Amino acid sequence: MRRWVSRLPCLLLCGAAMAVHAGTLTVTAIDSHGLPVGDAVVTIDRANPLAAANTHYIDQKGETFIPYVEVMHPGDSVVFRNSDHTRHHVYSFSPIGAFQFILSPGESSAPVVLDRSGIIAVGCNIHDHMIAYLVVTADQAQLTTGQGQARFDGLPAGRYTVKLWHPQLAPGRPPMSATVDVPAEGAAPALPIALRLLPDPRSVVDREHLDY
Amino acid sequence: MKYRLCSIVAVWGVAMSLHAQDTDLHAYADERLVAAPDDASWTRGGFGKARYGDGKTHFHFGGGAVLAAAQITPELLALGQVQYQTSGHSGFSVLEAWLRYRPVSTTPWRWSLRAGVLFAPVSMENDGIGWTSPWTLSSSAINSWTGEELRALGSEFLLERRGEVNTWELRASLFRRDDLAGTLLATRGWAIGDLIAGIGSRLREPDAEVSADGDRLPGYYDLFRSIGRAHWGDYVAIGWRAPGDTRVSLMHYDNRADPSASAFYAGGDREYAWRTRFWSAGARTDIAAVTWIAQVMDGDTRSGLTVDQFLRTRYRAAFVLAGWNLGAWRPALRIEHFSTRTSSDDPDWRQAEHGNAVTAALNWRPRDYLRLTAEVLHIDSTATLRAEYGLPAHQVDTQVQLSMRVLY
Repeated sequence: MRRWVSRLPCLLLCGAAMAVHAGTLTVTAIDSHGLPVGDAVVTIDRANPLAAANTHYIDQKGETFIPYVEVMHPGDSVVFRNSDHTRHHVYSFSPIGAFQFILSPGESSAPVVLDRSGIIAVGCNIHDHMIAYLVVTADQAQLTTGQGQARFDGLPAGRYTVKLWHPQLAPGRPPMSATVDVPAEGAAPALPIALRLLPDPRSVVDREHLDY
Repeated sequence: MKYRLCSIVAVWGVAMSLHAQDTDLHAYADERLVAAPDDASWTRGGFGKARYGDGKTHFHFGGGAVLAAAQITPELLALGQVQYQTSGHSGFSVLEAWLRYRPVSTTPWRWSLRAGVLFAPVSMENDGIGWTSPWTLSSSAINSWTGEELRALGSEFLLERRGEVNTWELRASLFRRDDLAGTLLATRGWAIGDLIAGIGSRLREPDAEVSADGDRLPGYYDLFRSIGRAHWGDYVAIGWRAPGDTRVSLMHYDNRADPSASAFYAGGDREYAWRTRFWSAGARTDIAAVTWIAQVMDGDTRSGLTVDQFLRTRYRAAFVLAGWNLGAWRPALRIEHFSTRTSSDDPDWRQAEHGNAVTAALNWRPRDYLRLTAEVLHIDSTATLRAEYGLPAHQVDTQVQLSMRVLY
């Protein structure tokens, strides 16, 4: 048995498919063409179990940040690594994590500890088309895979508020939200709802669209 | 042909050898088959509004350019573009060359300063190597003229206020040596093509006009020079950007030339300064797989061509372009309207033109380095100046081009 309750109108226009198994919640994000959407951050309103702080690595290859989106928890740190053959000037002007590093090829930054929850946009002051996002949250969070799925295992039965955010959703709006009951056992068919995404801002270098 | 081939090979050689860390090199070369309209093109001294115009079908070298950019320090970028053209005034010319200082900012505010030879930030079409358009071969009338006569030799300050929802921009520039901007609009009117002028280029005035003035043919004039007392021109632009590559821009340009000033050219011809001002607005956005671009321009240019009388040409143009992003295929359709009206105390100088144009292009990028384009350009225009020289005032030009462009 599964029950959906829409908490925000935007979920009616764009959303996710959720299938609940015993103790398991799977969220499937698809775009308006029915294709899976990766790099969406799905959170549930349960605190992340206390664990040692992690160090996350953001690489730079082919003038692209890899990964595009990284999920972190307060107290985690991030290191930027330059695997390109050109310099990068990594920076953020986010109020919850402002920093800047000039990285020569092969160089890595000092770790940046992020203590506050929020979304941090990261750019390169030399290459404007490079962008990445650090999503810092105290809740349990998963990133959708290339198949568009985020899965939470071992959940106690109960009602959960699920939120979904993607960097290409229209900015300035609250994340999509829904409540779902996770039963003790049983599963239900998925409910596919499309996300309406803006174009990917990570344009590759193209002689027909120069970016200087 | 041999010289052309050597030039292309030389450009490619330089491009390959200079590819290094913190240095970007891009280049293009274009060869095309053109079915030209009968009306003699302005590039050949006629009144035709297309780039080509002799009524024949021939292969033409469409142009080539090399762009080099070097990140000298994390804050300092140097960029230059050189082109080679065989239409109009043949040869090499510098399209732009500037240094940009842009320190990193860890606040929403960021500033930068560019100095050198700059394109005025009018176009929302031309962001390719050599100031080409990814959508069509021929730029809109607005951006054809921008590429022909507008260049800022000076500096530009840019202030950005970056936010999650949108980014605001303010640009302000002081420049010199653009005192002839407006000459073409007053003497020729609008045109539609992709013949970009650079430092070192010369542009041609209509033969009939040059002959009527008693000057020698062909009549070329040098671009990008100062006439009269030293002065600064300026432009100011406000821009708004939102995620999804949505942009809106409003700009005012004034070269502040002295319309009564003149100077002698080599050969003894006198060239007058043109006080040119305009408002320009543009917007672009992506809706699903379609990119929409719209621009409008409204301005005037004024000069003292006679001792006690002035000419004032009011010019207006607008276009809408839709481009479909279908992977390797990129169809585009543009419709536009343009007009000029020249007023003067002397009835002989009063002229007017108006016209519409439709450009349909189909671009195919089977490889990253190769672009094939088929384009049909249809221009329907009426100009009183043509009638003055015994030509039909109303003219319909259709130009068909099949282009192969190699990109590096």
